[in-house]
Amino acid sequence: MKTTFARLSLSISKINKTHIQMLLMVVVLAMLVLGAGAVADFGGVGR
Amino acid sequence: MILLTAIVAGILVGVLGAWHAGVSWQLPILRHTWLAIVGFLPQLLAFYLPATRNLLNKSQAAVCLVLSQLLLLGFCLGNLKSSGIAILAGGLTLNLLVILANGGLMPLPIETANKLLPQSVMDTLKIGQRLSTQSKDILLPAKQIVLPWLADRFTSPPGFPYLFVFSLGDVLIAAGAFWLLAKPLHKPKPTI
Repeated sequence: MKTTFARLSLSISKINKTHIQMLLMVVVLAMLVLGAGAVADFGGVGR
Repeated sequence: MILLTAIVAGILVGVLGAWHAGVSWQLPILRHTWLAIVGFLPQLLAFYLPATRNLLNKSQAAVCLVLSQLLLLGFCLGNLKSSGIAILAGGLTLNLLVILANGGLMPLPIETANKLLPQSVMDTLKIGQRLSTQSKDILLPAKQIVLPWLADRFTSPPGFPYLFVFSLGDVLIAAGAFWLLAKPLHKPKPTI
């Protein structure tokens, strides 16, 4: 349990400003693409 | 949602390309990101959030879509120097043109919808009606559509497990997003 917690803490400590900026940029791009596009999405339903 | 696969594919190709070239992959730096966030908000309310999309009628949804796409176009124009954004902006412009020419929503020809949707579903739809409260598309006969080549007239390939209809603008948007991510700026890997 202690090892798991230590590993988790180490992983979180490796998340820096660059990672957050990258995540934000991907989210912004996703919003741009979803907002700009007009795909009619029928999922798996259809003929 | 199918458009998001262009983002995933772009990241994968970009990362693999950078790895192959021995450099670290970096996302392009885009300016005025607040404009993209603000620009998406009207569509979030009109098409994505169930609590709000059911409150808006067709006209209100159309206003949200046009306003949103104008703001997103502004964001693209502010980032035209980034690779891929010009292609994406071109696709957005084509979509916006056909949307504006057809009353504020993306026209979907009945003939195209007939190819994908079961007859039982088609029977529940009316001409000029949105497909659902989460859809940007209105059902129209092909002859009534202004700028029909820019409408949602292309269907997913036969046998493809996921069914969708898309426009020429959507193709450019997906291509632009892919190019933006697959060909980003690289920086040399730090040598330790």
